[in-house]
Amino acid sequence: MNNVIEIKMGGLEIIDDETKELKTFVGSCVAICLFDLVSKVAGMAHIMLPKKSDGTKFTGKNDIGKYADEALSYMVNDMIQKGADPKRIKAKMAGGATIFAHESETSIFNVGSRNIAFLKQILKENNIPLVSEDTGENFGRWVRFNLHSGKMTVTSNLKKFEKTI
Amino acid sequence: MSTSNDLQKLNSVLDSFIVQKTIPSLRSILEEPITHHLRNTQEIPLINLDLIISNLEEMNIMSAVYIKCVGDIHMGVLLYLPEEESKTLAAKLLGKPISSELAGIATSSISEIGNILTASLINAISIDMGYKICSSVPGYAVEFFRTLLEAVVSDFGNEFDTLVVSNVELHGVNSGIGIHILLIQDPSEVKKLVI
Repeated sequence: MNNVIEIKMGGLEIIDDETKELKTFVGSCVAICLFDLVSKVAGMAHIMLPKKSDGTKFTGKNDIGKYADEALSYMVNDMIQKGADPKRIKAKMAGGATIFAHESETSIFNVGSRNIAFLKQILKENNIPLVSEDTGENFGRWVRFNLHSGKMTVTSNLKKFEKTI
Repeated sequence: MSTSNDLQKLNSVLDSFIVQKTIPSLRSILEEPITHHLRNTQEIPLINLDLIISNLEEMNIMSAVYIKCVGDIHMGVLLYLPEEESKTLAAKLLGKPISSELAGIATSSISEIGNILTASLINAISIDMGYKICSSVPGYAVEFFRTLLEAVVSDFGNEFDTLVVSNVELHGVNSGIGIHILLIQDPSEVKKLVI
């Protein structure tokens, strides 16, 4: 039985089985994990953009993790339905790199930093503490979250490192 | 969803632009004959994008240039080749061997190739169809293809849950240098090019 659930681009998964792990790959996107280690409920979203520019709500297809505002709202509600206590929900995140660099000081390819800034803002607005992060820089990351331990493991194939946050 | 007929037509239209302008540009830069192959144009759900990553691309570090085109046509252009081949390309452009990591003027030369090839394509589209298109400054990266693809798709910022992706390969016959180009568009853009 495969205990690792891989989350695709713009995807989102909620688990309440602590034998399972959540996994995704992010470059300039951000892997945000919300968890309640007492109730053993966690969610991970692969955030691509801060919010939808036309203001319409997501259509409930495969990309519910795509926009930060919609993904967090969906995750919190679904986690509460699965038994999480909103007061105990904490967050970890990784990614948000600036992969493409330009020689001038003003890079237009800064979606990663915009994703990070927006996520921190809405976590604060929702009183969800961000307990650890591995963000920024200029490389892609494999991200795994273990619900049993609450640990997030971040791996870079390019930089050849693995760290636990 | 785009129809398969629309995607086939888009494939043909892009192929004609590449033949008209992009190949002559690269032939002029490399001073050698160029072969090309527009592998396919397909509409892919975002969640399935990793299916286009080949095993070879998964294992090799790539040098890449990303340019975003805006205006009447919205298109993302990702040019990439294995890092070792990009050293050969930079050496050919600069007229001296690149022994260590790509940096400085060597990376600029790769970015400039991306700039020229993208400009040749959008120039062909503009001349043929009358569209006004502006291209961004080129962004340069060295990473695995998975990271490049993820960053480009994220930056492209489409609001659909699918993308139209065209996959082009250009090869220098003498040098063996192979440049891959991914052209990324919103599904809503397809009709603009297949009138």
